[in-house]
Amino acid sequence: MRVGSQSSSLSVAGTGRKTSPGRLLILLGPALCVILLLFGGGLVLGLLQALGHLPSQSFDVLGLQHFINVLQDPDFGKSLILTLYISITSTLIAAAISVLLALILIRWAADSKAVNFILQIPLTVPHLVIAISMILLLAPAGLLSRLLSSLSIISGPSEFPLIVNDGWGIGILTVYIWKEVPFITFMLLSVLKNMGTELLEVGATLNASRFQRFYSITLPIIAPSLGAACLIVFAFTFGAFEVPYLLGRTYPLALPVWAYKNYSDIDLLARPEGIAIGLIIAAIVILSIILSQILLHFSRKRGLTL
Amino acid sequence: MGRLELQNLNISYDNRPIIRDLSLDINDGEIVSLLGPSGVGKTTILKAIAGLLPPASGRIIIDGHPVDHLPAEKRDAVLIFQKPLLFPFLNVGQNIGFGLKMAKIKRLAASKQIDKIIEITGLTGLKNRKIHQLSGGQQQRVALARGLVLEPSILLLDEPLSNLDAKLRQQMRELISNVQTRTGTTMLFVTHDQSEAFAISNRICVLLDGSLRQTGTPTQLFYQPADPDVARFFGCVNFIDGQIDKGMFQGDFARCTTSLSDSPKAIAVIRPEDIILSSDKRENGTVGTVTQIQFEGSTTRVTIETDNKTFTALSLRPDFVVKQSVWLYFPPERLHIFPHYQKP
Amino acid sequence: MRLQRWTLFSSVLLTVLLPFLPLILWSVSERWFYPDLLPQSFGPRAWSYIFGTAGSQIASGLIASFSLASVTTIISLVLGIPAGRALGLYDFAGKKIVFLLLILPIIVPPLSVAMGLHLWFIRLGLAETFTGVVLIHLTFCLPYTIFVIGGVFSDYNPDFEEQARSLGASPVKIVLQVILPMILPGITVAALFSFLLSWSQYLSTLIIGGGKMLTLPILLFSLMDSGDRPVAAAVSLVFVLPAFLALMGSAYNLGRSGLKGVR
Repeated sequence: MRVGSQSSSLSVAGTGRKTSPGRLLILLGPALCVILLLFGGGLVLGLLQALGHLPSQSFDVLGLQHFINVLQDPDFGKSLILTLYISITSTLIAAAISVLLALILIRWAADSKAVNFILQIPLTVPHLVIAISMILLLAPAGLLSRLLSSLSIISGPSEFPLIVNDGWGIGILTVYIWKEVPFITFMLLSVLKNMGTELLEVGATLNASRFQRFYSITLPIIAPSLGAACLIVFAFTFGAFEVPYLLGRTYPLALPVWAYKNYSDIDLLARPEGIAIGLIIAAIVILSIILSQILLHFSRKRGLTL
Repeated sequence: MGRLELQNLNISYDNRPIIRDLSLDINDGEIVSLLGPSGVGKTTILKAIAGLLPPASGRIIIDGHPVDHLPAEKRDAVLIFQKPLLFPFLNVGQNIGFGLKMAKIKRLAASKQIDKIIEITGLTGLKNRKIHQLSGGQQQRVALARGLVLEPSILLLDEPLSNLDAKLRQQMRELISNVQTRTGTTMLFVTHDQSEAFAISNRICVLLDGSLRQTGTPTQLFYQPADPDVARFFGCVNFIDGQIDKGMFQGDFARCTTSLSDSPKAIAVIRPEDIILSSDKRENGTVGTVTQIQFEGSTTRVTIETDNKTFTALSLRPDFVVKQSVWLYFPPERLHIFPHYQKP
Repeated sequence: MRLQRWTLFSSVLLTVLLPFLPLILWSVSERWFYPDLLPQSFGPRAWSYIFGTAGSQIASGLIASFSLASVTTIISLVLGIPAGRALGLYDFAGKKIVFLLLILPIIVPPLSVAMGLHLWFIRLGLAETFTGVVLIHLTFCLPYTIFVIGGVFSDYNPDFEEQARSLGASPVKIVLQVILPMILPGITVAALFSFLLSWSQYLSTLIIGGGKMLTLPILLFSLMDSGDRPVAAAVSLVFVLPAFLALMGSAYNLGRSGLKGVR
């Protein structure tokens, strides 16, 4: 398992160096404690609340009622499908664009400092700002609509197709794609740069056509990084709140939005259900990571290659 | 069939001309090496033949068909790179079968060919091994097998032995010879190592400063260099000026018969190991002072200064000391005069 | 080739800069009704509002965001650098488990954790406090920092420290004059990572901070609700600015590597 997108990345593979347990404790201890306490604690305490425990009470009222309520709610299925749709679609589209962009960049602008710099800008812009910008741009009375009307293509806001707060989540997808393409592209670029042109030259001399070189050499080499990047993007978009809140419809709600709505509801009884939804989100995300690792393991074992 | 013809090849890199006017013919089944110092552009020639680098001008003809406008994947020449460059995501068998897969050869038939080449290259039992589990020598062999399995007209090898230690180099040398005998593949390989070129090739082409200086068998190049640069490349550094008059080369202190035509300026050269050092004066030689004695194992390198020249001799067991006066004898039959070469 | 490079360059530039266009236009518009492509009248109302009347609110939002992000980053670094060193430099039993423990907070959405911690933070008196929000931000900023620093250390050659020791350097000197300078680029990236992550947090700050910790994103949200577009646009730009400056600064310091990998 590797994490990191720059040329130096962390992996579980061995470094060959060992040190004393005492030293490890001093180095790792504090950080791990903090994380265990906060993250682990947050999940555990959330779970307790979702299982019905209240701070003033004892532990024997625990039950799965809140989870059952959530799962049986007809809105749950709709929200789940919507959230999956948003995450999977934005991840796939962003991945496709990124692969194309990375290949083009490697070919034509590998060392261009300008392009590199510009492509880093979206990395620093918070999702919230882009969501706001998309509202200003893509709303029925937004900038794009005004452009079309000034070109006499449409005559008013009502004729402009609904692409924010719409059923297809186009506004949401646009925001995610705009933000995630640079992220994925950079991860791919570092792999592509490492790979260099030599392996492709080998492919060429072994009778591989342009397409074959991409499919049989480049793709297998970028696949691990691409997969990791896609997982990160999927996990993030699945659990994100701001963008679907601003750019989504009022019904169905994306899971994170629904979770918070419940949590912040005046009716205090809705709170634990909000937490339950939050935990379900966490579970789905963790599950998808595990699933992908299993799939990977199996395909490696079988020697499955493209 | 594996015939290669290069006609007036000019290759540039970054707008700098690297190879100038190279013409070369290689016959079917030959092993030819391009020998030259590092950086002279030998790899660029291979890449041009393989189709990975377009020449500035000239023609490349494989088996009678000009291939200049064919991309690399359509040429019947396979280049084996200096580094094995095995595909890390494939195992040994899959690496070897890569080209077959690209040519859309069916799995079953491909498998047979792969097994055969595995046997020829001595990789039996490693078919399912992962690349990173192989040693350097094994990786090199897989790279070789990967190219051979395609039965190309021409196999181009870029310094195939330079990354290996002495023992592996010997094994690889034998492997290449064996393979060549069994498959009859025409091979062109480039190297900067003279002993390598001598050991494997039928013919050697000496490449210096971007141009082809001489082609010949190992002994021809060694004892009959075509010009001073080639001579120097093979360690022949003793030059004697003179002129040719009526079938006789007359140098400053050496003479020999020659069949070359008369010329007011000519140069003769003699190999260091052919100079005979003695304390007695003899004809056809000169006197000099020993300035340096360098023990090199089986031979000793002796540097001698005469009036106006420095000579290097390789002696078996010299019994001179530095600053001693010694007589250099140049046996006439060991003098080689550069044909058509005149001192500028 | 030049044409292609130029097309590539301009299309990337356009796509990247496009979202800023409506923000900039709206922030300087006085009146702008449909269907005009440009504002009917320009004016500095939004900006003067930000720096004037609402100045203190915006300013406090800025300060809140900035101080939260800074403190989170500093603590992340203090805890994360040693942890990253351990992870990147050494092998040990259970390394995989530690890895897992560090990946999870990055993958699991902040909201799941924040909702769980909230009640207990209330009981511990940490809700609606600076410290509480720092803690929740730390939950995911710290793992990120550890991974970045870990990456730096996996490329690092500890022989330098041995060399310094044999040349007579004390452990403190070794840390200050050998280790830190060598991993400085990594520290910069990790710091930027952490800072940006904390800076752009909305929901976790809202949940833990309640109505008290008013960071810029929270202000921005309420501005969007209020419908005052020019001010919202202007505040958006203010919100983006420090991150953008950080990018410029890092580009200068780090050369080509920059911020790649920041989400």
